[in-house]
Amino acid sequence: MAETLSRSQNPRERLAFVLVWGAAAVVTATFCWLLGDILWHGLSRLSWTFLTAPPESAGRRGGIGPILVSTFLILGVCLAVSLPIGVGTAILLAEFTSDQGLFGRMTRRSLDVLAGVPSIVFGLFGNAFFCKMLGLGFSILSGGLTLACMVLPILIRSTEEGFRAVPANYRISAAALGLSRTTTLVHLLLPAAVPGLLVGLVLGVGRAIAETAALIFTSGYVDRMPESLLDSGRALSIHIFDLSMNVSGGDANAYGSALVLVVLLLLINGAASWLATYGLHRKIATI
Amino acid sequence: MYRYLDLSRQKIGHVLSAALLLALGGIAETAIAQTTGTSQLSGKLVVTGASTLAPLISEIGKRFESLSPNVRVDVQTGGSSRGVADARQGLADIGMVSRAMKDDEKDLHAFPVARDGVGIILHKDNPVQSLTDEQVIAIYTGRIINWKDVGGKDAPITVVNKAEGRSTLEVFLHYFKLKNADVKAQVVIGDNEQGVKTVAGSRHGIGYVSIGTAEYDESQGVPIKLLPTGGVPASTETVRNGTFPISRPLHIVTRTSPIGLTKAFIDYAQSKAVHDIIAQQYFVPLVN
Repeated sequence: MAETLSRSQNPRERLAFVLVWGAAAVVTATFCWLLGDILWHGLSRLSWTFLTAPPESAGRRGGIGPILVSTFLILGVCLAVSLPIGVGTAILLAEFTSDQGLFGRMTRRSLDVLAGVPSIVFGLFGNAFFCKMLGLGFSILSGGLTLACMVLPILIRSTEEGFRAVPANYRISAAALGLSRTTTLVHLLLPAAVPGLLVGLVLGVGRAIAETAALIFTSGYVDRMPESLLDSGRALSIHIFDLSMNVSGGDANAYGSALVLVVLLLLINGAASWLATYGLHRKIATI
Repeated sequence: MYRYLDLSRQKIGHVLSAALLLALGGIAETAIAQTTGTSQLSGKLVVTGASTLAPLISEIGKRFESLSPNVRVDVQTGGSSRGVADARQGLADIGMVSRAMKDDEKDLHAFPVARDGVGIILHKDNPVQSLTDEQVIAIYTGRIINWKDVGGKDAPITVVNKAEGRSTLEVFLHYFKLKNADVKAQVVIGDNEQGVKTVAGSRHGIGYVSIGTAEYDESQGVPIKLLPTGGVPASTETVRNGTFPISRPLHIVTRTSPIGLTKAFIDYAQSKAVHDIIAQQYFVPLVN
C-alpha cells in the first residue's frame, strides 16, 4: 500500500496509471453505452410473441420467429461443415506437419490471408460458387456453407494453437507406453486441445451470427418460415440492417432484434466458457 | 420449430449429400416447374432487385401466397441494376427496378406497380425554407459551400449523396441535369432510411430521399424537413396528382412476355387489391 502511494507520487507513474485506467474505462464505457442503448430501446419489444411470431408489414410489426429459425439453421450448417474440416486440418497442421515444412507454412499463410478477407468477398464468392455454380440458389445451405468458408481460418488456427499448447511430454509418454498415434490423438491430445477449439468456436460463431454482407447474397432476404435447407431464409443481422436502413418505422423492431442478437451471443459465449471450465476437467480426469 | 433443429442436427449429412447430388446433376433450384392449373397456381417465383421495392413486393408476395397456398414468392434485394441483370440472365423470374426504364433496357417487359417522389431534405433546425433548382445544383457541384449564401446561417454545407447504382441518385441527377462525377459530396449513403438518419444527425446537412420515407419519419418526430421543388410542396399527395416534378415509377420487369404464374403475380401486383399495401409502405399507388 505504502509502495503504491509513493509510486503514484511520481508524475510519470501517475500519467501511465491514468492512461491505462483511462483506456480501460473508455472500452468499458463504450460497451455499456452500446448495451444500454440497445436495452433501453429494445427491452420493451421483447416478449414471447416477438420471438415466435412472423414479421408483418416488412418487419415493422410482428416478431422474428422465422428469422430466428433461419439464423439457427444457417449457423447449424456452418458448424456441421466447419467443425470436422477445421479440427481435421488443425490436427494435420499441428501433429503431422513440421513447423518449418513448406506445406505447413503455405497452409498457415493462406489461412491467415483468408482470415483477413472482408466478408463481402466471401459473400460474392458464395453467390458465384454455391448459389450459381452448384445451383443451390438463395438458400440456407448456401449461406451456411459460405459462412463455413469464412469461419474455417479462425477455427483452424486457434485449434492448432490448442494442440501446440499440449506439452510434448504427453506425446512422448504415450509413445513410450506403446499407444498408437490414433489412440493418443483421440484420448489425450483432443481433450487437451479443446480449450483452443472452444476459443476458435466462440470467435467463429460470433463472426458468423453477426454476418450481414456475406449472407445477403447467399441465404437471402425471404422472411418466411423455412421448410427445408434449400429455402431462402433471412438471418437476424440482415433483418436488423433492413429494418434500420431500408424500412421507415422499423427502428423499434430493429432494436428488439438487436437485443435478441446480443443476448444470443452472450449465451453462446457463456455456454462455451462453462464447457471449457466444467465439462472438460471431468473429461481429462477420466482418461 | 423443433423439427427444424432436429433436421439441422441429425439429418444434415443426408441433406448435404442430397444437395451435392442435386448440384452435380446440374438441377437448378429455381427450375422447379411453374405450373398453372385451371383452378390453382403452384410453383416458386424468384424476384430480385431494388432494395426500395423489396419490402413492398415481399408484402404483396405474402398476400399472394395466402391466396394461392402452393405458391412461394422469394424476394431478394440488391439494387435496380441487379434486378435488370438477374431478369436478363434468367436468374430471377421477375426483376425489381425503382426507376423509369432506360433506352437500352427495352428488351425487358416492364410493369409499373407504384410511384415514388424524391424530395430534398434538410435538418429541421435549418432556417432555409426553400431552394431554387439553381441553388441545389450549385450546392451539389460545390459552387456554394456555405449556408449563408442561400439565406441560412454561417455554416459549411454537408452534402449527402447516394451511392452509384441507386435509383434515387439517377432520378435526382436526371432532374437537375447533373453528372455524378460533378457532385462534390461529403457523405455517400445507400438506402433511404440511412439518408434520413444522416441528415437528422447533421445540422448542416442536405440530402434527398424517397418522399414517402421522409414524410413518415417527419411525422414520427425525426428532425428533418422536406423542401418544395419548383414551388411544389413535396408530399405523397403532390406525387399522386402528378404535380411534383421529381418522381419515379417503380417497375417489376421480366425478360420474356409473362405467362402462367409470373403473369398471375404481375397482374395481382398491379391490381387495386394491393393499393393498401402500397400505401402502408409509403409509396403512391398508380391511378389506372
